[in-house]
Amino acid sequence: MAARSMLRSVWTSFAGLKLGATGSNVIFQQRTNVPQLSTLTIQSRGIRQVVEQQEGKTTTIEGQILNIPATPEPPNPAAKCPIYRWNLQHKYNYTDVLLLSQFIRPDGGLLPRRVTGLCLEEHRKIAICVQMAHRAGLLPDHKPKPPENRNPTKPRQQLNRYLTPWSIDTVKPIYKVGLKWSKRRMAVGSPLLKNNVRYGVKHMNTKH
Amino acid sequence: MSSFSRSAQQWATFGRSWFLIDARMQPPGKIATMCAIRLQGKHKPIYHALSDCGDHIVVMNTKQIAFSGNKWEQKVYSSHSGYPGGFKQLTAAQLHHKDPKAIVKLAVYGMLPKNLHRRTMMQRLHIFPDDELPEDIRANLTEELPQPREVPRTLSEYTQEEIDAFPRLWTPPENYKMK
Repeated sequence: MAARSMLRSVWTSFAGLKLGATGSNVIFQQRTNVPQLSTLTIQSRGIRQVVEQQEGKTTTIEGQILNIPATPEPPNPAAKCPIYRWNLQHKYNYTDVLLLSQFIRPDGGLLPRRVTGLCLEEHRKIAICVQMAHRAGLLPDHKPKPPENRNPTKPRQQLNRYLTPWSIDTVKPIYKVGLKWSKRRMAVGSPLLKNNVRYGVKHMNTKH
Repeated sequence: MSSFSRSAQQWATFGRSWFLIDARMQPPGKIATMCAIRLQGKHKPIYHALSDCGDHIVVMNTKQIAFSGNKWEQKVYSSHSGYPGGFKQLTAAQLHHKDPKAIVKLAVYGMLPKNLHRRTMMQRLHIFPDDELPEDIRANLTEELPQPREVPRTLSEYTQEEIDAFPRLWTPPENYKMK
């Protein structure tokens, strides 16, 4: 009776698990409850472990969180968005892969905003930076699995590129450029990042 | 320097040197400005337009050139053969596939002064799509120029310690499972 109530109090924190009408002398196997990890993006919540101890007639089943790495205190803990908390606004670019890789899935997609906690503008900036990083080839291990290759005979031309704001298949060639005073310019980088800190005198040119 | 002999000083000032540029992951426009300056001789204090003081430039790895933005799809190279119906327009990607040397060549050609010296300066420009250089050119090279663009590191090039040293910006909510 006491064991069952103790069991119930321990298990209420685990929402997904169902506990049937089990007796007190049930032996649970040690289980590690690990969130899905990829080789590169490591969540620092800690690995939860279910530990079972038997003391005579009472069985104690505990869920312990092991290995909590100490995340350093952010410089601005009062802010809502993680980038504002670490004072990284206006300071990152498509090359800062260590930062961008924290917000992507293993197959390269972005995590939803309600999960990461980013504010809308920073989420959009991170999105465009991640797209540019993918197109520049800076995230080689985060490619999605291709469906059964339909045309292996015509391989895509491997061209090096960087600061590509638009998707490769959707962009059309500029056949009529126009005169010098009214040229159709080609976009380089994104206007969302125009407020980034520049340590030189020159301004960022998004229209080439 | 005043400590050199007269003949050595003469060779050093008026000799035609050979520069090497690696165009891997570099924008062709920046490569072309570096080439054009040195082909004219404008990097020398003894420059004069008539004194034919330009140097030789060897550009290698032009196959691995990197355009910024969507220029591979948007930039169009046009030419007319002179005959009716001879107007050809190729995107940069198509032109690069046809001839990997053409983009750098056209870029440098457009940056040189539009006079009769241009053709001689272009003869002093040597472009190679790979890093295989012929023996006689390799024997002539004197200096390698630094690359204009800093090539960013991919995620796989970072060591595990550097990845761990970077702090986690956000912690996922309790019930969230990464897919």
